[in-house]
Amino acid sequence: MANLLWLQGGACSGNTMSFLNAEEPSACDLVTDFGINILWQPSLGLELGDNVKTILQKCISGEIKLDIFVFEGTVVNAPNGTGEWNRFCGRPMKEWVKELSAAAQFVVAIGDCATYGGIPAMAPNPSESVGMQFMKRAKGGSLGAGFVAKSGLPVINIPGCPAHPDWVTQILVAVATGRAGDLTLDEFHRPKTFFSSFTQTGCTRNMHFAYKVSTTAFGQRKGCLFYDLGCRGPMTHSPCNRILWNRHSSKTRAGMPCLGCTEPEFPFFDLAPGTVFKTQTVMGVPKDMPTGVDKTGYIKLTAAAKGMAPAWAEKDIFVV
Amino acid sequence: MTGSAEPALSASEKQAFIDKYGVTPANASHDQLIKMIEDMFAAGLVTKVEPFPETDREFAKLLDELRPLSADQLRAKLVISGWLLKPYGKEQMRCQECMYYLVHRRWCDLPELDLPAKPDWWCRLWRI
Repeated sequence: MANLLWLQGGACSGNTMSFLNAEEPSACDLVTDFGINILWQPSLGLELGDNVKTILQKCISGEIKLDIFVFEGTVVNAPNGTGEWNRFCGRPMKEWVKELSAAAQFVVAIGDCATYGGIPAMAPNPSESVGMQFMKRAKGGSLGAGFVAKSGLPVINIPGCPAHPDWVTQILVAVATGRAGDLTLDEFHRPKTFFSSFTQTGCTRNMHFAYKVSTTAFGQRKGCLFYDLGCRGPMTHSPCNRILWNRHSSKTRAGMPCLGCTEPEFPFFDLAPGTVFKTQTVMGVPKDMPTGVDKTGYIKLTAAAKGMAPAWAEKDIFVV
Repeated sequence: MTGSAEPALSASEKQAFIDKYGVTPANASHDQLIKMIEDMFAAGLVTKVEPFPETDREFAKLLDELRPLSADQLRAKLVISGWLLKPYGKEQMRCQECMYYLVHRRWCDLPELDLPAKPDWWCRLWRI
């Protein structure tokens, strides 16, 4: 039996909603098949008020063994570093986060806000939000760069806006069943098993990417979304086209550009007007190249690809 | 169409197209449009080749100018987009490598232009 406690900070509850849609395994499977005891969760917990507070205090004191502490949303520090804007059970949430993290065997940050600060932490960041152990790309965050949980692992980051439900439940199962040693984390503390490949990996529009045929307006079935509509699939690490959403589809398969929500910089360009759904270019060349590609190579590749592109690549193809 | 700084085609301009080509640009075939474009340049059409839109804001402004134009306003489309019948710049940028260009259809797929083009042509909305 592994005790799990889940709290929310500066959050929209999107990751909880996502978690509740998990299928492999489902949220119920965690309890019935994998021995996870959910001590409390904002949408599932039965306790209210002081009864919640008592659970938290017992976890900190060690009276209840806290195996997994899950946090969703940013750690709010406003105003002036006090954290008073986000009070929970009689004190700033940031204080609960610090003490519960110190008491837990494993700390798991779910979603882009908890991992890297996400949308609340974008400039001018009035809530003084940070992620659990990162602020965008900079290590540190609320718990500090050197933090490790009792297990010896730092905060395990499962980013996304929201995180895919099965990424969440599969990592929780790994931790709860004693297989945390199998987890290897990348430089941003993301489990490599999910975040080594790109969003583009498995995208059904890949042939259009290869032949440099662009989607030029929403609703088109032809074309790659990278060239004009701002898709970040070629430089975003996620398995969105390997572990499909709702078991059916993904943003790019449905014609929606990837926004790069599993990367620390999300949302890119602080959502400045004209930067969303539009590939940013300098003198006609994309600012952000597919990972590992330089400008000279990109231009040469484009010339070669367009020169040999087959006619079918210019036609609408059913890509869902 | 409204909202454009460019006036819509007058009745006499439409008639001139019909007299010369049998159709206006909105109803012209691929080859007829190519001929119309080449004829305009042969007659001395000068387009706004510069400034090249270096930023996305500048690019978007050009699209805003183009968007209200009707399919008949071929001359205005060519002028605003900085259309040329040859490659541009020391890097010899041309339609062939532009991401909006459909090489088999020989067509510019940018919705605001939506015109036929030859591979060695170019305009300042070029992107790779």
